[in-house]
Amino acid sequence: MEVQTITLKINGTDYEFSVGNLFGQIPARETLSQTLRNRLGLTGSKESCDEGACGCCTVIMNGEAVTSCMLLTVCCDGADIITIEGLQDPVTGELDPIQQSFIDHYAFQCGFCTPGIIMSAKALFMKNPHPSTDEIKDALSGNYCRCISHYHVFNALEDLAGKGK
Amino acid sequence: MYGDDYKPENYRYVGHNTPRKDAREIVTGKATFLNDFSVPRMLIGRALRSPYAHAMIKSIDVSEAKKLNGVAAVLTFHDVNPNWKMGWPPTKPILGQELMYAGDPAALVAAETKEIADAAIALIKIEYEELPAVISGLDAVKDGAPQLYPEYKNNIVTPGYPPFQKDGPFWHLIKGDVEKGFEDCAFIAEDTVEFEKMASPAAPESPGAIARWEGGDDFTIWADTQSSYILKILNSSVIMGSNLDVHTFNVGGSYGNKQSMVVQVMSAVLLSLKTNRPVKVYQTKPEQMTCFETRLGSQVHARIGMDKDGVVKAIKAEWTVDTGCYSNATQGQVGVGIGEAQLVMCKCPNWDLDTNLVVTNKQPAGIVRGYGGQELNSCLSLLMGRTMREGGFDPVECFKKNYVSDGDRYTWRDGREWQAHSVSYIKAIEAAAEKFGWKDKWKGWGVPTWTSEDGKLVRGVGCGIIGNADVGEDNTEAYVRVVPDLFGDGAHVVLQTNITESGMGQRSNMAKLVAEVMNIPYEKVELTPAETKINPTGFGLCGSRGTITYGHAITNACEDVKHKLMKLAEPYLEVEADAMELRDYGVCCKARPGKFVTWKKLIPADLSLTGYGKHIENFSTPNFFIVFLEVEVNKETGRVNLIKLLGGSDSGQTLDPAALEMQVQSGIGSASLDTALFEEHIIDPAIKRTMTYNMIEYKWRTFNNFPEVDTSILQSQFDTYQFKAVGVGEIAGAAAASATMAAISNAIGIQVAQYPATPDVILKALGKIQ
Repeated sequence: MEVQTITLKINGTDYEFSVGNLFGQIPARETLSQTLRNRLGLTGSKESCDEGACGCCTVIMNGEAVTSCMLLTVCCDGADIITIEGLQDPVTGELDPIQQSFIDHYAFQCGFCTPGIIMSAKALFMKNPHPSTDEIKDALSGNYCRCISHYHVFNALEDLAGKGK
Repeated sequence: MYGDDYKPENYRYVGHNTPRKDAREIVTGKATFLNDFSVPRMLIGRALRSPYAHAMIKSIDVSEAKKLNGVAAVLTFHDVNPNWKMGWPPTKPILGQELMYAGDPAALVAAETKEIADAAIALIKIEYEELPAVISGLDAVKDGAPQLYPEYKNNIVTPGYPPFQKDGPFWHLIKGDVEKGFEDCAFIAEDTVEFEKMASPAAPESPGAIARWEGGDDFTIWADTQSSYILKILNSSVIMGSNLDVHTFNVGGSYGNKQSMVVQVMSAVLLSLKTNRPVKVYQTKPEQMTCFETRLGSQVHARIGMDKDGVVKAIKAEWTVDTGCYSNATQGQVGVGIGEAQLVMCKCPNWDLDTNLVVTNKQPAGIVRGYGGQELNSCLSLLMGRTMREGGFDPVECFKKNYVSDGDRYTWRDGREWQAHSVSYIKAIEAAAEKFGWKDKWKGWGVPTWTSEDGKLVRGVGCGIIGNADVGEDNTEAYVRVVPDLFGDGAHVVLQTNITESGMGQRSNMAKLVAEVMNIPYEKVELTPAETKINPTGFGLCGSRGTITYGHAITNACEDVKHKLMKLAEPYLEVEADAMELRDYGVCCKARPGKFVTWKKLIPADLSLTGYGKHIENFSTPNFFIVFLEVEVNKETGRVNLIKLLGGSDSGQTLDPAALEMQVQSGIGSASLDTALFEEHIIDPAIKRTMTYNMIEYKWRTFNNFPEVDTSILQSQFDTYQFKAVGVGEIAGAAAASATMAAISNAIGIQVAQYPATPDVILKALGKIQ
């Protein structure tokens, strides 16, 4: 019997998964968020609303910010995925400039939504290194933050957007 | 640091921004939240929920569900001790035959996975008898209304919460002679105002708990509570004699809401008892939105009178508080609400403020930031505003005359009379008003600040004020342990204290206090995790109490260990303790810094030295917050935009300005300011279910819709404790909803008092729709 497999590149590493309903296989109903969190232990992105409204589960897939709770893993074959764990330099430990700017500007409170916000921002900056304030606001409009860290997030990202201009 | 040394110019960390100790973990995704954590052999617990607001289980058959492969237990009311009841007084069984709201658990399942548990729930055969339901607090007290519990006549909950009110229940404030007081008033307003849409603080992280039965009465609990100790005491009274060791992690938002979490914890406890395996119960977002605690409902009928100078002289009010299907110590919130009302109108000698705490067939309503005071303020402030309007008073001048100041007396939640000590906020009110430009913008009650040329757009300003004396609540203790490094002459200081981080940054702020007193780098201070067993008593960050209570206990603990170090140093330095100071992980002689001995030399090899400190509950230093805001109303569409907001306070000595600034900004969210604009739970009156059940139906403010924001913070050195800090905390948004209503009313020239002021409310007020 031929076993169906899918391959995902996650933070630069290829992972080949077996698809099916047997123990250990990825069933068709499994979301990308569940695969990342429950199988690979990449728990940095969070599950909150589970219907694409809050952005806590945001990762970058093929250069775009996506809500990983709204994607079925079996539909992501061949995708190149970056999670919050993939931003930091694995060798030197150096943080991504967005992460560093979030620390410098104290751009979080409880921190639950922060990985999703950082990944939405990263996708924006990958395409547009010097976004305007309105472009930043639009890029983050699908991210929920209930502590109201928005103003500090703007400070962190506007500071970064102005660098090297 | 001693006595006179506690001055802003001496601080290296206090008053300056310092990166949070968990900052790197948060931005890299390494910070652990409850759902990132699991325990070996852990099962998943799920609930079958009532589709009816009030129903009796006629029959329930779980035999098919139990047969499903991977199911470890299925529990119904038949399986649970009916004396294990939740709430105060103990009222609602953990699993009952009578279901009290749409969403009330009718059965619990534990299985190997969530999917198996949900499949098992679908196999349960249940027959309900639907019962009449009541969802309005005012209707619930009427004769003939459906009764939820036989012991609560007219659905009125027994007053009083003993841990808060040791002298007896406190629910009715009577002072002076109200009728005579009204005779002396020049201006009186009377009406009924409701704040009863019972908004959700909607923490991004759902409430959840893992319970593991350790045998006998012992359980280990991992929960996403903001206070492990409060969770312990509120849950230990459900199963009398049980002993809970409660662990927490980083908490993904709470806003006062995720504290006792009795339903989640007790569901997990029951399932772990039955299966002898750890069980996790973690709510989905729709469960959080429809079954977890909301804000209290609030209906206030009040008569408020002012004298000719704008000082409130008499108040007669009846406050009906809707706590949903059961009271989980809501009596304490009623006490605080009564207290906070007095702080706002503290010169008033004549009070008759009566309350009714009522149960209804809705999801439980309880603690959310603002803790009763916010709900009452949202009603009472509108009536206070009407009295000001009668007299033509500028609200800022009126607040200055009425707000609590040093020497004023008030009855706090414990039913005891307290006298304000040291605090005075008139300068802070004036500073905030000036920064906002109030004098230029204020044109009088009912007068817009600006009107567009075509007359369609109007702007109005409003302001609101509130304070809270709970900032000194609850006895608290701390250990500070000096641990010399294994190599070299350095040391770490371990702070043992029970503070869970849920966003306010107080774990790091407390580390700063330790660094100041011990005169070591902030990086050398370490904190124990917030667990009940390993830490001394601490109620966590509730009641905006962190800055004073933990600050006081921890500073005392530091001074204690410092004193011990100096006593040990006397033989080496040959001077008295008051001639010494701490420096470079050692003790030196102030006059001759070269005379120096390391802590490592003073402390016996491999041991550490511990200091102990405590704070004793004290309600005499209420804090303060004033909000100024400007709204723009489109009179054609009824849409209201918040365009500018300024939050003002005198926080005493600021611990961290960046954290404080975010606290000020936080008052927009978490069911605070926006309860005046669009945040509400909508219950279908026919089927009595919550229709705002997810993050799409429930409205929240998105990143691209924030107003201009500003802050005005003074740092008076109030006599609270060594660092002279007071803090801000939960009250940042507590008067913002009433201020928004005032601003809208001033913009359109018509008084609006229906929360939230959605476009249909505005258009009705303008007479444009029926």
